[in-house]
Amino acid sequence: MDELRDFKFIRPTFRKWTQSEKRNFRIGMFFIAPWLIGFLAFTAYPMVVSFIYSFSIYHSKRPLEFVGLQNYAAMFKDELFWKSLANTGYMVVIAVPLTLFASFLCAVLLNLKVRGQAFYRVVYFLPSIVPTVAGTILWLWLLNPQTGLVNLALAGIGIDGPNWRADPDWSKPSLILLGLWGMGGTIMIYLSGLQDVPQSLIEAAELDGANWFQRLWHITIPMVSPITLFNLITGVIGMFQYFAQAYVFRGGGELGDPLNSTLFYSVYLYQNGFLFLKMGYASAMAWVLFVVILICTLLLLKVSDRFTYYAG
Amino acid sequence: MNHVHETDEQKQKRLRARFLRDFASGLLSHGLIIAVGAFFLVPFLWMLLTSFKSDADVFRTPPRWLPYDNVRVEINGQEYPLYNVKTEDGIKQYAALEIEAGVAYFVDPAHPEAVMPIELQQGAERAAEAIYEVSFRWQNYPDAMNRGSRPTVGTSFWTYLKNSLILAFFTIVGTLLSNTPVAYAFARIKFPGRDFLFILVLATMMLPFQVTMIPIYLFFNDTLGWGDTFLPLIIPAFFANAWDVFLLRQFFRTIPEEMCDAARVDGASEWQIFTRIVLPLSTPVLATITVFTFLYAWNDFTGPLLFLTSPKNFTMALGLQDFQGQHTMLWNQMMAAATIFTVPIIIAFFFAQKTFIQGIKLTGSKE
Repeated sequence: MDELRDFKFIRPTFRKWTQSEKRNFRIGMFFIAPWLIGFLAFTAYPMVVSFIYSFSIYHSKRPLEFVGLQNYAAMFKDELFWKSLANTGYMVVIAVPLTLFASFLCAVLLNLKVRGQAFYRVVYFLPSIVPTVAGTILWLWLLNPQTGLVNLALAGIGIDGPNWRADPDWSKPSLILLGLWGMGGTIMIYLSGLQDVPQSLIEAAELDGANWFQRLWHITIPMVSPITLFNLITGVIGMFQYFAQAYVFRGGGELGDPLNSTLFYSVYLYQNGFLFLKMGYASAMAWVLFVVILICTLLLLKVSDRFTYYAG
Repeated sequence: MNHVHETDEQKQKRLRARFLRDFASGLLSHGLIIAVGAFFLVPFLWMLLTSFKSDADVFRTPPRWLPYDNVRVEINGQEYPLYNVKTEDGIKQYAALEIEAGVAYFVDPAHPEAVMPIELQQGAERAAEAIYEVSFRWQNYPDAMNRGSRPTVGTSFWTYLKNSLILAFFTIVGTLLSNTPVAYAFARIKFPGRDFLFILVLATMMLPFQVTMIPIYLFFNDTLGWGDTFLPLIIPAFFANAWDVFLLRQFFRTIPEEMCDAARVDGASEWQIFTRIVLPLSTPVLATITVFTFLYAWNDFTGPLLFLTSPKNFTMALGLQDFQGQHTMLWNQMMAAATIFTVPIIIAFFFAQKTFIQGIKLTGSKE
């Protein structure tokens, strides 16, 4: 993060604080008290407790029983754990890049110099602020196999539409469609990036005879690569925690229906913690999730060094 | 330029070619933008249109875009649907009093005494077709709102709407009150340990909610006994969060330091500088935070799902989810409820469009 460049290397000093430092410290602590208390109560304390739970068997209202690494070992033998990890992996590997690619193309369209762009931008953006539950239910209706708009449109061009939600092969693509519909936020981030690409660079390339596609490939895409990296990382982190859509999208069925094809990692974690009341196991899963997210983020940052261009 | 020596004719030709090219590329651009735009717009329209359809019209195949309903006529104080009925004297408009076992009991609205039983399916032909007209069924909205997801006394979507508004209001108040002083300290007070603590703030952004979720749940639910109340959803908002602290700090740092220094020289305390100088200059960012906190609280599903168990405490999000599980066939009312759930956000968007886009860009340019 650029932000962190401002910070001096933090080195502990052992000299006594001056009078004004003491005073400033007191004032500072007073101002940041809300965050400090919140951090201790809702981050630090729960982290410690969750870490302890992850090595224990814990049913609420029964005493804690320490079991060492048993929860972590159980994960390796738990087929549903691997299934949920695979489901989440599918979304991370397919849905996230697809959404990025589609958002970028939409942003390029919305950045063309044509009349009525202000209106088009609103149209592309609006679905992203429809509440998650409302949007998910709307797509359940659109993807209804018999009377849904999507299959009727497909039938109109001679395609026999799939069962979408009820078909284990199509349930995740259904959720991807829902995600693409609501990608307006990502489009807007890309659009603001496109607007920041210096016009002079584009004009220079145009003078040198570069066509539209060459300008896009050699100038625009490298110039917005930091935004791609940002969207990629937030997209991956968000996808590992994908929950509400999957929870609502099963219709009236069980969590993970059909055939556990929408049993995503966070859904299975919720199921363990709050439906099976295996809070120790769920805590262990949460820590594994944290570590996986950390590794993915660091890997992306590392790999992206070669593909990201920072101007200035 | 190489156009200097061209004749008028050449110039006209060149300009015409350029006009045609611009026109074609403009047409192509519009075409693409509209085609992709349909993907975003049509589902939205379909939600609205479905919300106005009658129960029968919802499941009509193939569907029609606009909501249709039976044309009805009043006979003796009751309404009956009109049909085009094939008779020996040609097609007549009769009202169907009742349809039972494939036999419709028709009457001529002008002479409602004489009931004519007619078999609807006569061989391959239908003896009568219902008459439809475009008709928006506004009644779906009050029906959905008054129904609620469960037959619990005093619980309806009005309750959920009220609950969502209460939660959003207190979350916004808490967020504004708690994040501003914290962000001010990180932006403008040079206290020892500030940089370390700010890195800690940023680091908490990396922590997935799932890690702290279970202890927080047990703490509120079992230790404090706040299960099935709004408190676990409201109280944390009063203790600041990394995203808003970061956003506010970035903004506070753009306020000229000299203004604060001048006030300090005049003997103003940090609290006075914060409340009298910095906050009044920060209305744009406070508006952004208000809008986005509203969006977050209104949309939140996981929090209410964890803590709110009885239908009288449901939020719109929970209520709609529950409604969907209970009444899988009432798509028109479900879409009406979904529309009501969405409308406050659309209104907020049109009132604060700039704020919205600004906020998205700010969150996007954190890098």
